[in-house]
Amino acid sequence: MELQPGTELLGLGIGDTAVRAEVFRLKSRQRANPSVRVGTASEETERLTRAIRSVAENLEQLSENPTAANADILQALAQLVTDPELLRVATAHIEAGMSATSAITAATEEFAALLSGDSFLEERANDLRELGMEVIAKLNGLDSPELPTTDVVIVAEDLSPAELARFGSNVVGVVLQGGGPTSHTAIMLRSMGLAAVIGCRGASQLVDGQQVLLDPAGDRVLVDADLSLATKAIQLIAKNPEPLIPVRANVGSLADAIRASTTSASGVGLLRTELLYLNSQRMPTLMEQTESYREMFAASPEGPIVVRTIDVSTDKPVPFLTTDYGDLVSPGYTLLRDNRAFLAEQLASIEAARLASGREVWVMAPMIQSSAEALDFAELARSCGEFKVGVMVEVPSLIQELGDLGDEIDFVSVGTNDLSQFLFETNRLAPLSPELLSPWQPKLISALREIADQCTSQGLQSSVCGESASDPVFAIVLAGLGFDSVSTANSQVAAVSSSLSAVSKLEASGLAALALSADSASEAKAKVLAGLRDLGLGS
Amino acid sequence: MITSFTVKVLDPIGLHARPAGQLVKLVNESGLVVRIGRLGQELVQANSPLRVMALKAKSQDELLLEIEAEDETAARALAERIQQILKEL
Repeated sequence: MELQPGTELLGLGIGDTAVRAEVFRLKSRQRANPSVRVGTASEETERLTRAIRSVAENLEQLSENPTAANADILQALAQLVTDPELLRVATAHIEAGMSATSAITAATEEFAALLSGDSFLEERANDLRELGMEVIAKLNGLDSPELPTTDVVIVAEDLSPAELARFGSNVVGVVLQGGGPTSHTAIMLRSMGLAAVIGCRGASQLVDGQQVLLDPAGDRVLVDADLSLATKAIQLIAKNPEPLIPVRANVGSLADAIRASTTSASGVGLLRTELLYLNSQRMPTLMEQTESYREMFAASPEGPIVVRTIDVSTDKPVPFLTTDYGDLVSPGYTLLRDNRAFLAEQLASIEAARLASGREVWVMAPMIQSSAEALDFAELARSCGEFKVGVMVEVPSLIQELGDLGDEIDFVSVGTNDLSQFLFETNRLAPLSPELLSPWQPKLISALREIADQCTSQGLQSSVCGESASDPVFAIVLAGLGFDSVSTANSQVAAVSSSLSAVSKLEASGLAALALSADSASEAKAKVLAGLRDLGLGS
Repeated sequence: MITSFTVKVLDPIGLHARPAGQLVKLVNESGLVVRIGRLGQELVQANSPLRVMALKAKSQDELLLEIEAEDETAARALAERIQQILKEL
């Protein structure tokens, strides 16, 4: 059924400027039947060679277009798909009996596996998979659709950065049914300055040719609505030299740490340690772990470095840890307790790296559910090194028990993504609904206030490192609620620092009170934006 | 004639996608057969960005280059340009 004019589809906005244009749906590439072999081995190889050549030529042509915003990305992709080793490996599969389609799939997967375990290369592995899909589309006559030349809003389930790179200036906006605010695609959308609404599940009902108003500042898409209905974005005017509370960076690899050091971040508020272990069949030695942490510490921006001990969920099992917990989606600390020797060694290597790098290092454990678990972790951590010790607040049951922890730990850090999923009782692995992507939920905001209040009365330092802290306006609310610092994705450090430089402590508290007085997420956001304008802080 | 050289990765992020791409481009333009790898391990074809990236060479790692060329001067010139790519950007 076609959507009525004025229908509102919620998501998460990227960019400030609203646009109105026709919908163009980009369909996910159809899956071809991989097992059908068309000809002899040499004929299949010949078909594959031609398909690869054709994908590369398309990319080269696109890169020569003077309006191509990302010519170097396109050329790099062309170089990747024509890698002679890729063809050699695929040809060997064809000679062993595979079809061209299966062979290129197997070859791209093999190389993607070789590149895994390093965040810089991980992105290239994704590019390679996307390129493999394009080769398959060519092989099976399912070429990627021609993009229209008139102004359009592209609607898709999800897009890869490689696909985004091809959009010309007639693509005025993007609506994605999937995607998260710190995904690669979101970062690229921001850097391209394209208006977008992501995580917009209702967009599945949009059809080609339909007029839509893409309203990123309002976190929504309006069907066939006029531009005058667009939400006015706020431009905050930074008036203080420093943000109200320190803005730290979230880091997951050495490359991230190096990038963070080019931002204004005051230290690292969340150093994720999973990458070191996820792709390892055996446990890395103490020396290997120490060296890896030392490199990351040395590269990190000036300020404290908050390291989170390994966070394992059943969707990402670590091969050398006991992770059989049946239906428990997030075994959390239970798992760490059962692998105590591992945790002790991780903490010992963090301590050795702390000494080697001379940095101030704090450690915290994820998914802590009770004060007993927090005490257990604190005791172990203090026996392993000279750290400030803290826990992540992601499970609602811990909030009530924070009152027991004032003398036992030094700080807490709130993971708002998991906290909202637990508050709304959804599965950690289920796709996020637009409502959950929004940090402005009254239930979440009041939980945050309770955490901040508990921390103040217990003398605990408090921080928020979830995606909510990456929203520049929401970060003001967090400061107003009483949090002592926020930690955001590298790409958001500048925006969050600047918004936090626009307000005083008193103004932030008043704005937080406005957010707390709302009955819905959209009302909370609207009230705070109006409050900022009333204070004359934004235009 | 095969000539061997040792080069050192100095880029703080290591031999990641961008220098790997530049290296492959340089090798292709030279028309020479070049292999690269860690000392004591199997070398890979340096005209393959995927193989070069999969070396996962980090800052301060030393790599062995084997260049097949008629004259040693051409080989040495190429090795020097490859070292330039591996330097801090």
